[in-house]
Amino acid sequence: MTFKKILIANRGEIALRIQRACRELGIATVALYSDADRAALHVLEADEAYRLGPSPALESYLRGDLILNIARKSGAQAIHPGYGFLSENADFAQACEDAGIKFIGPSSSAMRMLGSKTRARQAADAAGMPRTPGSTKALASLDEAFAVAAQVKYPVMLKAAAGGGGKGMRAVSRREDLASAFEAAQSEAERAFGSSEVYIEKLIEQPRHVEIQIMADEHGNCVALGERECSVQRRHQKVIEEAPSAVVNEDLRHRMGEAAVRLAKSAGYTNAGTVEFLLDSHRNFYFLEMNTRLQVEHPVTELVTGFDLVHLQIRIAQGESLPFTQEDIHLRGHAIECRIYAEDPDNGFLPSPGRITRLLQPGGPGIREDCGIYEDWVVPMDYDPLLSKLIAYAPTREMAIARLSRALSEYVIGGIRTNLGLFQRILDDKDFRQAHIDTGYLDRLLTQPKTARPSHGAEQAALLAAAIFESMKSTGEQSVKTNGARAKDQDVAAHGWKALGRRDGLRA
Amino acid sequence: MKLTIEMEDRPRNLELQRLAINGIEQNGFWRGTIDGEPVVFEAHLLSPGVLSLIVGNSAYRIVQEESASDPALHVDNHRFSYSINDPRSLRFRRSHGAGAGGPKAIKAPMPGRVVRVLAQKGDEVQAHQGIVVIEAMKMQNELKSPKAGMVVEMRASPGDTVASGDVLAVID
Repeated sequence: MTFKKILIANRGEIALRIQRACRELGIATVALYSDADRAALHVLEADEAYRLGPSPALESYLRGDLILNIARKSGAQAIHPGYGFLSENADFAQACEDAGIKFIGPSSSAMRMLGSKTRARQAADAAGMPRTPGSTKALASLDEAFAVAAQVKYPVMLKAAAGGGGKGMRAVSRREDLASAFEAAQSEAERAFGSSEVYIEKLIEQPRHVEIQIMADEHGNCVALGERECSVQRRHQKVIEEAPSAVVNEDLRHRMGEAAVRLAKSAGYTNAGTVEFLLDSHRNFYFLEMNTRLQVEHPVTELVTGFDLVHLQIRIAQGESLPFTQEDIHLRGHAIECRIYAEDPDNGFLPSPGRITRLLQPGGPGIREDCGIYEDWVVPMDYDPLLSKLIAYAPTREMAIARLSRALSEYVIGGIRTNLGLFQRILDDKDFRQAHIDTGYLDRLLTQPKTARPSHGAEQAALLAAAIFESMKSTGEQSVKTNGARAKDQDVAAHGWKALGRRDGLRA
Repeated sequence: MKLTIEMEDRPRNLELQRLAINGIEQNGFWRGTIDGEPVVFEAHLLSPGVLSLIVGNSAYRIVQEESASDPALHVDNHRFSYSINDPRSLRFRRSHGAGAGGPKAIKAPMPGRVVRVLAQKGDEVQAHQGIVVIEAMKMQNELKSPKAGMVVEMRASPGDTVASGDVLAVID
C-alpha cells in the first residue's frame, strides 16, 4: 500500500519534521490544532488542517477519538503520532488498527509488551539481556519493597512502571527513607500516569545514558542504527544528545546493538524504536527501558548514518522491507543536538511561555535546525517547552562542538527566556569537551559559579546600542510630532539601508 | 543626548552626539563619552531591533528584545538586561522602594494557570507554607508564603490565567 495522505497527530517542531518527510515522499499532510495553536507553523505548512478543541492537551492532542474521526473524515490512510501525546498509547494504536487506519509505529501488542517498564524487564530477561538488578513486577507492598531493596542493596531506585520524563522516580540511599519514598513515588505515578505501579532497581552510580536506535520492518528484519549518548540531563530530561558516544567502541556498539535487536525481535516489534541502556564506569551495559516511538533526538542518528528515519518509518508502515542490512550501516562523523527550551536558567529553570519578539536563526555548514517557532509567535503555556532543536554535524566531535558553539552565537531568541546561554556554558566546559559526562554531570556543573563574563568591548557596544535605541525611540516620537523632511533627516540612523544606499550612490 | 544606563548592575553615564564635520552631520556616526571616556562609533539599523555597530574597527551585531518593561540586548553570546535611568520606570521603583516589613505580596514568577489555591482569605499561615500552585508547560510551581501571618488578600482562583509578576495573594 502506498499512502496518499497522512494525518500528523502532534504539534511543534516534530509535526513540521514529519510534514517535511511526507512532502518529500509526495504524500499529502493533515494537521490538527488546538485553539492555542491556530497560528502555529505546523498548521501553516499543512495541506489540510482541522481544529481539535480547546488548548489543554486533554481536550485536544490527547483526544484519540476526535483524532480518529478526523482521520476518517479527511481520508488519511495513516497516522503519525510523533513523540509524546498519544505516541506510546497502546489503546490508541489499537483503536487505529480497529479502524483500519495505519498507526505509524509498532503494533499495539508490541507496545503493550515493551511500553510498561516492568513487562519490558521481563522481556529483557527472556531475551537474555543484561538489566539492572531488581524487581520485574510491580511491588505488591512496602514489605516486598524492603525485601527487594535488601536483596539488591542500597542505593536503589523506585520507578513507575508506566513512567517517563522522570515522574514517579525516587532514589533511595538508606533503608529508613524507603517507606516515604515508596509512598511518594506511588502517588506521583498515580497522578501522572493513572497507575500507581512502582518497582525497584539497583541504582547504578554515575552512569552514562546510552541508547540504541533500532528499525524493524514487518517482514522480520531488524537493524541497529548505532548509539546516542544522552548523559547530559537535568531532572531526567535530556538536554544534549550526541552520536556516536565517545566511550562506545566498535565491539561495545556491536554487543549493545545485538542485544537491542534481540529484544525487539522477541516482542515482534516493528517500525522505529529506541532501547535505552545505562553504562557503568566499567562500560558494562544494563537495559533500562524501551521507547516505542520516534525520539526527539533522532536527528543525530540521521546525520551519522545518512538515513532519514521518518522516511523509513513511512516506508515500513507501507509494508516495504528495510532497504539495507546491518552490514550496510556505517557511522560517519559526529553530531550533537541541543534541545532549546522556553525556560529560564537564571531563575530556577521556570517555564517562560509568551511572545517571541525577536528571532535570528543560525545557518551555515553542518547546521540543522528542527524548529517550530517564528518571530511574533506566542509560545503557549499549555504544552512542553521545546522550541527548537539545533544540531551540528562535523567529521569529529571536537569540530562538531566548535560548529555548534558558532551556531549558538548566531542564534537569538528574544521576548521569552530560553536555555540558549546554558549550552554555550556546557560546550565551553572542560569536562564536556573531554566527554567526561554522566547523568549527574549537568547538576554538578550548575552548582558551580558561572565564570564567563562578557568582554569589555561587548559591554561597551551594548551600552552604546542601548543609547541609540533610546534615541530612536525619542526621534520616533519627534517625527510623529514634527512630521516632514526634518524629522526624516534626523532619523537616518534608524534607516540603515537607506543611508547605506545614499552613501553608495555618492561613491558611484 | 545625556543619559544614565544601568547595565550589569552598575550605572553608566553616557553623553553622545551626532558626529559633524565642518558643520555637516555624518549619517550614522556618533561621538561622545562613556563615564568620561571618549568614544566614536557608527551605528546602522539593519532591520527592526538589529543594529550593526562599528566601534574603532570592531564590528558588533546587537539584537534588541522588544520589551517595554524589561529591555535587553544580545551581544556576543551575552544577554545584557538594562534600564535607562528614568525615575518613573518600574525597575527604578523596585530597587528604590519596598522595605522589609509590612504586607508581602505573592507574585506569579512565570506566566501560567492557577491549578490549586491552598489557603483562603483570613487564614493564618506559616512562613514557607504553600499558598497557590500555578502550572505552565507541564511544570507545577507551588508558591510559598514569604512570612508568617494572615492571608489578607487572595486574588487567585483555580483556572485563572496569570501573567508573570501578577500579585496572587497578600500576606500580612
